[in-house]
Amino acid sequence: MNMLLDGFIAPLDDFLAASVRTATPLALAALGECVTERSGVINIGLEGSIICGALAATIAAGSVGVSVGFAAGLTAGLLVTVLFALFTVYLRADQIITGTAITLLSLGLTGLLYKSVYGSTGVGLTTPTTSAVEVPLLSSIPLVGRALFAQPLVTYALYLLVPAMAWWFFRTHGGLALRAVGESPDAAMAAGVQPRRVQALAVLFGGAMAGLAGATLVLAQSGTFVENMSAGKGFIAIAIVVLGRWTPFGVAGAALLFGAASALQYLFQSLGWNAVPYQLFLVLPYVLTLIVLARASGRTAAPAALARRELTLG
Amino acid sequence: MTNTNPTASALALRRVHKSFGSVRALHDVTLQVRAGTVHALLGENGAGKTTLMRIAFGLIAQDQGDVLVHGDTMRNHSALNAIANGVGMVHQHFSLVPAMTVAENIALGEYGRFDAKRVSARIRDIGERTGLVIDPQARVSDLSVSAQQRCEIVKALARDARVLILDEPTAVLAPDEASALLQWLRGFVAENSNHAVVLITHKLRDALDFADDITVLRRGESVSTGAADTFTESTLADAMLGPGDRAHAVESEVVPTITRHTDSVGAHHVVLQADALTVHDTRGVQRVKKASFTVRAGEIVGLAAVEGSGQAELLRAVSGLLPPSSGRLHAPADVGFVPEDRHRDALLLDASLTENFALRDAGTRRGRVPWTALAARAADVLRQRDVRAQSVQVMARTLSGGNQQKFILARALDEAPAALVVENPTRGLDFRAAAAVHDALRDARDAGIAILFFSSDLDEVLTLGDRVLVMHDGVLREVPREREVVGRAMLAAS
Repeated sequence: MNMLLDGFIAPLDDFLAASVRTATPLALAALGECVTERSGVINIGLEGSIICGALAATIAAGSVGVSVGFAAGLTAGLLVTVLFALFTVYLRADQIITGTAITLLSLGLTGLLYKSVYGSTGVGLTTPTTSAVEVPLLSSIPLVGRALFAQPLVTYALYLLVPAMAWWFFRTHGGLALRAVGESPDAAMAAGVQPRRVQALAVLFGGAMAGLAGATLVLAQSGTFVENMSAGKGFIAIAIVVLGRWTPFGVAGAALLFGAASALQYLFQSLGWNAVPYQLFLVLPYVLTLIVLARASGRTAAPAALARRELTLG
Repeated sequence: MTNTNPTASALALRRVHKSFGSVRALHDVTLQVRAGTVHALLGENGAGKTTLMRIAFGLIAQDQGDVLVHGDTMRNHSALNAIANGVGMVHQHFSLVPAMTVAENIALGEYGRFDAKRVSARIRDIGERTGLVIDPQARVSDLSVSAQQRCEIVKALARDARVLILDEPTAVLAPDEASALLQWLRGFVAENSNHAVVLITHKLRDALDFADDITVLRRGESVSTGAADTFTESTLADAMLGPGDRAHAVESEVVPTITRHTDSVGAHHVVLQADALTVHDTRGVQRVKKASFTVRAGEIVGLAAVEGSGQAELLRAVSGLLPPSSGRLHAPADVGFVPEDRHRDALLLDASLTENFALRDAGTRRGRVPWTALAARAADVLRQRDVRAQSVQVMARTLSGGNQQKFILARALDEAPAALVVENPTRGLDFRAAAAVHDALRDARDAGIAILFFSSDLDEVLTLGDRVLVMHDGVLREVPREREVVGRAMLAAS
């Protein structure tokens, strides 16, 4: 009996740790997108910010150091969305088309840059990575201790960011203005808020967070850059925002759920259940989204002016 | 508390010009709003009243001219700037965020930490001081129209507004609510010699009874201005309409005492009949309680009610849009319905008139759309019903409010339905357009259609209705067609 339990505990530990690890970049990108969408803009170009963040982080970390790598990733993600903000917020171009174009552009451009910097053969590139930092005491809590408190610093930053963001959303006038712009830009404008400025800032914040997510993929996880390594994470992040009902805690929870669904494959592999092909588990997060969204569709919480192009005034 | 000269201007606009593209909206308009007064700004739809006040509030920039608040010229004028200088605006289409609470809406646009408790206390305080009581925790989308308006005013007061601009505030209110608001505005300017109110309206009576000064705009120009007691209804109508159009306009303002069709009522068969009809709204709240009534062919039955009395649900049940939960409803298969929010519920604003025309049967027709035939039919209808549009290809958005409403009516009346249900048919229309809509409804009545209509304007119910029903809190009854009786029944004050 004990033997059987032991056989489960180690893989379970790994599974939980992997869940949190996989969830971290998703949560970063999704929290940023949550702010963006609250302002009434949907940034489909999130994927582009992630991949650009990943490449910038790789280059900067390789030539300077890991912490500069994170900063470079964040900046690259931000720069990509400057383009998006310019087109959608100021020129009122269609958000979906602009976002798609930016994603495709970024995927192509990073591939090209990667080849021109590191050669077409793809030199066995290894980038310095951050190591996990164990929080004393907390990390020795049975089962969840290591999963939650033996993670890279960027994960801990996330723990602080979620409540801070929730507080900002609902307890500050800045958060109020953000939500009002997403619900009714005209009303916000009449109250003295500048909708375009709010939207531009929200978009840039989302881009920076996505860039950070890209950096995390490289510097805290894979340790290397691979073409198209963002692998749809930008789109998953958008689904997470919906699943999280546009609230920071909801988004964090949803990201963890996705992380867990993705990590299931490791659990099953380490338990030796190889009969099930791992590709099936890759589908799991998406199936999960469909189920949860279908059940939660009774009441929508989407910002009323999401993806709307015109402001009636000005 | 202030030493402001009472005759000084609280708000002044000097020689303001504004064009939108090639359209001249305002031409050399000057407006002086004296401190301590209510100033009515009159004009037909499209005369430039709202544009002028949006410039005053900093929402749009003038091409030329100055805006002065309490004597200071506003530079780099913005809404934020206007608010900081004590100007508050209550928009005709309220600028509240429906998904947020009253407290959140009122705090919107400020900086720093948002403390819901402190804001709520502030709102309650304003309520006690001014009588504008409103629940700070209520969601705006759950509030009645008059409560939303109260919320807008409280929002302005919470920012210490001294000059209040109200755009058609009484258009959405029941008569008693409207007069209470106008009384309140008088109290507001009397309370402090620094306060002033600009009342945008097209109701002559309101301007004459409640304003100190009146300015009349016509086609973007200020055509007449002066103390209210120097005007009469007739001189105001002259100023608003310009030469030649008066007779029509004044006629529509008068309540006729002759009951038309008394001879034919009874001779015609019953088209709509409800017995103990009970209706629940989509949230499951009982809104109509055992309503019984009849509407015969060739008569117009007016329904008077305070907003939110269940009239919206009753009309939709009769039109087949909301299934009644009990009772009997006898109605023809084809009931035309004209909803009150024409922009939201009746038109695709960015689709052509032909496409909008085709919508009428979109739910029942199958297969290919006969566009050519529809366009020809729509063009015919435009001509017959005097809808002014360049062609059937133009977008519905480009029509004036009056022509949009005439188009919607014409569409509902095409193929002659046996019954027609109409909700607030002239909301937001100037009186010339309103008179045209009234004529169209009377023509339909004379053609033998049974018409049930609701209006939040009591005078309209009395003018247009051959018989009058009153609804209060879901209970429906028929009352004599007398202003006093109907008014009291609406408030259940009989």
